[in-house]
Amino acid sequence: MAAAVQVTKAPARGGGVSAVAWLRAGLIVGTLVIWELLSRSGWLYRDVVPSLFAIAKAIVALLSGGDYYFHLGVTLGEIALALVIGGGGGVVVGLMLGANRFLSRAFESYLYYLGPTPKIILFPVMIMWFGVGSGSKVALGALSCFFPVALSVAAGMRQIDRVLIRVGRSFRADTRQMITKIYLPAMRHPIINGVRLGLGIALIGTLLAETKLSNKGIGFLIINAYSTFDMPRMYANLIVLFVLAIGANALVGRLGGLNTIRR
Amino acid sequence: MNATAPARRFALAEIAPAATGLGCAVLFFCIMEALIRTGAISQFVVPPPSQVLGAFGRLFSEEHIVRRFFLTIGECLTTGVMIAVFGVAGGVLLHRYKLLQQAVETWVAALAAAPVVLAYPLFMVIFGRNAWTIIMMGFVAALPPVILKTIEGLSGTRKVLVNVGRSFNLSASQQFWKIMLPASLPAIFTGIRLGLIFALINVVGVEFLINYGGLGQLINDLAERYDLPGTYAAICFVILVSVVFFMTLEKIERWLRPFK
Amino acid sequence: MDTPILVADKLAVRFETAQGPVVAVDDVSFSVRPGEFLSIIGPSGCGKSTVFNVIGGLLARHDGTVKVAGELIDGPHRSIGMVFQEESTFPWRNVVDNVAFPLELTGMAKAKRIERAHHFIRMVGLDGFEKRYPGELSGGMRQRVSLARTLASEPKILLMDEPFAALDEQTRLLLGDKVLQIQQQLQQTTLLITHNITEAVQMSDRILVMTYRPGRVKRIVEIDLPRPRTSDIVGSEAFGRYVARIWSDLREEASLGMKDEEDHMLHEAAS
Repeated sequence: MAAAVQVTKAPARGGGVSAVAWLRAGLIVGTLVIWELLSRSGWLYRDVVPSLFAIAKAIVALLSGGDYYFHLGVTLGEIALALVIGGGGGVVVGLMLGANRFLSRAFESYLYYLGPTPKIILFPVMIMWFGVGSGSKVALGALSCFFPVALSVAAGMRQIDRVLIRVGRSFRADTRQMITKIYLPAMRHPIINGVRLGLGIALIGTLLAETKLSNKGIGFLIINAYSTFDMPRMYANLIVLFVLAIGANALVGRLGGLNTIRR
Repeated sequence: MNATAPARRFALAEIAPAATGLGCAVLFFCIMEALIRTGAISQFVVPPPSQVLGAFGRLFSEEHIVRRFFLTIGECLTTGVMIAVFGVAGGVLLHRYKLLQQAVETWVAALAAAPVVLAYPLFMVIFGRNAWTIIMMGFVAALPPVILKTIEGLSGTRKVLVNVGRSFNLSASQQFWKIMLPASLPAIFTGIRLGLIFALINVVGVEFLINYGGLGQLINDLAERYDLPGTYAAICFVILVSVVFFMTLEKIERWLRPFK
Repeated sequence: MDTPILVADKLAVRFETAQGPVVAVDDVSFSVRPGEFLSIIGPSGCGKSTVFNVIGGLLARHDGTVKVAGELIDGPHRSIGMVFQEESTFPWRNVVDNVAFPLELTGMAKAKRIERAHHFIRMVGLDGFEKRYPGELSGGMRQRVSLARTLASEPKILLMDEPFAALDEQTRLLLGDKVLQIQQQLQQTTLLITHNITEAVQMSDRILVMTYRPGRVKRIVEIDLPRPRTSDIVGSEAFGRYVARIWSDLREEASLGMKDEEDHMLHEAAS
């Protein structure tokens, strides 16, 4: 840590937490104030920056109408299915690649290099194969999250400290005990991170597909607000979506106990 | 015991996995070709691989894929420059003002995890259905890794190097430019590499979604025209570009590494 | 009465490398009496860790046999408990759960497991640390947890591979005292692999000196120092004589090893 270039006093223990909190509050309030001023100034095109009250009203309207929850249910169902299929497949393939060096050297680079490609361009193909309904969305979401999950599970298996496996064997643990008491706990960080990553990517893949071609789901609601130029409603949808997505990500991380035990 | 025998056995063991992988890929396409030709899979859902290969020529002559390629790359590079400038500057700023870093760093990380690209309709409203939507969308999506990696690099500068600087009584500015920044370059390049990858993915994706631009738009166009072989060929082309782009970035980063 | 509890007969291990086959261990035979403390000492590259793995049942491809209480071993034997050289505590379990691990595998009831685990935690001197996680402990404490875990399985033979290698000298001496104390209390048959002469002489009844690769038994030395022993013995004259004898044997082998490495590096630099 560069102690030489500190400008502000480093926050003291205990009392320091509130300095950060103050700053955060200040930043948030400042942003909201600037937003509202921009909205009222009339500088930008009419509704591009709607008033905060209009947005707040739209959020309330959104969350109090039963409609939203129907669409949310559709989207959540698609994401869940995508995660099970793509993520599940990714875990299985990842375990195989991590356990067997030959398979890894034969096939893993394909996954590695095909992973970071824009999957949404495959959507027309998914529509041809699975129709215009939820099937194509699930397929795209599953395909998107398969790669990162497989790669992180494979990497996770390889980075298990070899000595822990020998300990298990020296105590003559059987296969089931080895998997449940040694392999899986030793891999908990990569698995949780893989699930988080997979969740985020499945979410993006599924939702983008919904914005492109759908009459249901959160993605549909967003693009619908765009086509009717109902800006407050679009902001409302986006804000709620982001809160849910970030919340889900944090929840998975917390459940995996990432904040507690080191190593 | 023949001295070359074990060496030869090892060489075989080296190429066997790669050959298996390649072999499986080739086999897969041959099987697909066979299944489609015999009608087991409808050729109106999946065109035979031979037809897809044939469509490549068309892409170059009729669809001006080269021009589109440069358009897409141009958008990516613009995004790349923007994230490099603002990302590194942002990281440096946050590292310097620790309080700001503590307040804001988790927000940046959250932004990285959030599905920002879903706000593309919003960007369309703000910037119109044109290249700026694409570039700004790429920018917002690709910025967080650059900032985070820059902070990581600066904070992770080995203490002994900092102490060397202090032993020479370097000023804060000299300390930064002569020690911290050079020491952080590997991490910063990694961040920019990650950012560029996100940029490409989002640029092509948004081009497809808003039906404007280079390669992404081409795929959308061909799909809407129900040109199956063309669509598949264009998708393959984009995947190829993406893979080559990724490999090139890796080579560049590896080439820069030995200097650190 | 004194039938050996462990008999290793003509052990030999060969590895395939890119440069051709390498004989790591060749014709190693020895036996261990019940309650005895036997150390195997040798220079780096003498194959002592290979012997550790063979006896522990983790290395199946070997010539020769190992018998424990008359039974031929075929994989890790239930009467042998292993303590490894590297960090081997489970970082996701606290101390008591780490120590109770072998009891968990046998399906012992929870309350009984915890009670037994506490017993061994006390034995290694870590009472009060039951709920801590390995990440919160020092290296020496973690090795004690590993030791307690192995002791909890109540093995007839304790097999240790340089368990104190990563620790500093003072911690090593004190832990050595602890191990001696435990061994004397339990009358535990112990087989210790080490490269540290002081440690070997301090703790052992007999020391088996190995040659450099291919590892063979160079000499077996009876250590006739009175028991019970502590680290105080390190200063005595008799102790010094034993160390000198073993060192003169080892030095020969160690310089063979060094010369081999230098030749190797010259060869690599030239090619």
